[in-house]
Amino acid sequence: MSPRGVPARVLRLAIVLTLVFNVLALLVMVHTTPIVFTLFMFGAQPLFVIAVVLLIGAVVADLRAKDLF
Amino acid sequence: MPVAVAGAEVAVPRPHGWIGTASDWVRGLGIAFALLDAVLLVLAWRSLRSSAVTPTARGWLLVSVGLVPIMVAFLSFSHGLEASTTVNACGSCHVMTPFVQDLRNVQSTTLAATHYKNRFIPESQCYTCHSDYGLAGTFKAKVEGLGHVWRYTTGRYELPIKIASPFPNVRCLSCHAESQRFLNAAGHPKDVLPSLVDGTLPCIGCHGPAHPEQKKEARAR
Repeated sequence: MSPRGVPARVLRLAIVLTLVFNVLALLVMVHTTPIVFTLFMFGAQPLFVIAVVLLIGAVVADLRAKDLF
Repeated sequence: MPVAVAGAEVAVPRPHGWIGTASDWVRGLGIAFALLDAVLLVLAWRSLRSSAVTPTARGWLLVSVGLVPIMVAFLSFSHGLEASTTVNACGSCHVMTPFVQDLRNVQSTTLAATHYKNRFIPESQCYTCHSDYGLAGTFKAKVEGLGHVWRYTTGRYELPIKIASPFPNVRCLSCHAESQRFLNAAGHPKDVLPSLVDGTLPCIGCHGPAHPEQKKEARAR
């Protein structure tokens, strides 16, 4: 990704969001309670979706910077 | 067969295949994938240190943010959905403690305890009786469960806990309707069966109480 593309901090944010998602997923599998599962469903999963959107955005920006998209 | 002694109660362990159950595998794989993804995320983070994002970093990102978490999401959702139907899950909210204690009390004669101690319902006993039959019943139970979590965490509930709507006979009949013991019982003469089916004569009216009487007390939260 060139300097004209998406800054690395966006990708770092995607990594952090995915890590939070992973921690909550682990919590669901180690100690499932209705509250933990609800947190996972309505907190962790949207965070993961945001991370994927950021990643896709970064890929598209990268391709545009290289005039490939 | 070995006999496990738990406190004053004698229990025979349930048969367990050497390779475990599907639930065990879903849980185990879920934990493994989540840990693997955590390692991959660290590698992706480290590869992002340079000013430009290298093809290697792109590879780590694709796998750690785009691919492996999908597997983690699927396995966690699958495990969470099933685990949230267990008696332990229901008992994790302290307002349910008296109900679960009664359920597990072998001396109790309540309808719920009778079903539990005799394993008329092998597992997920709370969920089985408190969800309607079929996909719509499952969905409705999950939505109601979400409401319970909301009210419990925000403290918007009143003691003693009461069932939100009268217990429908269809939940009893989904197991008992085709049972010969039910059909031939002296207490269920043929002319009464239609009333049981349409719900005008509640099962719980004769077979209650389902749970122990709760004392009126100040809310603990």
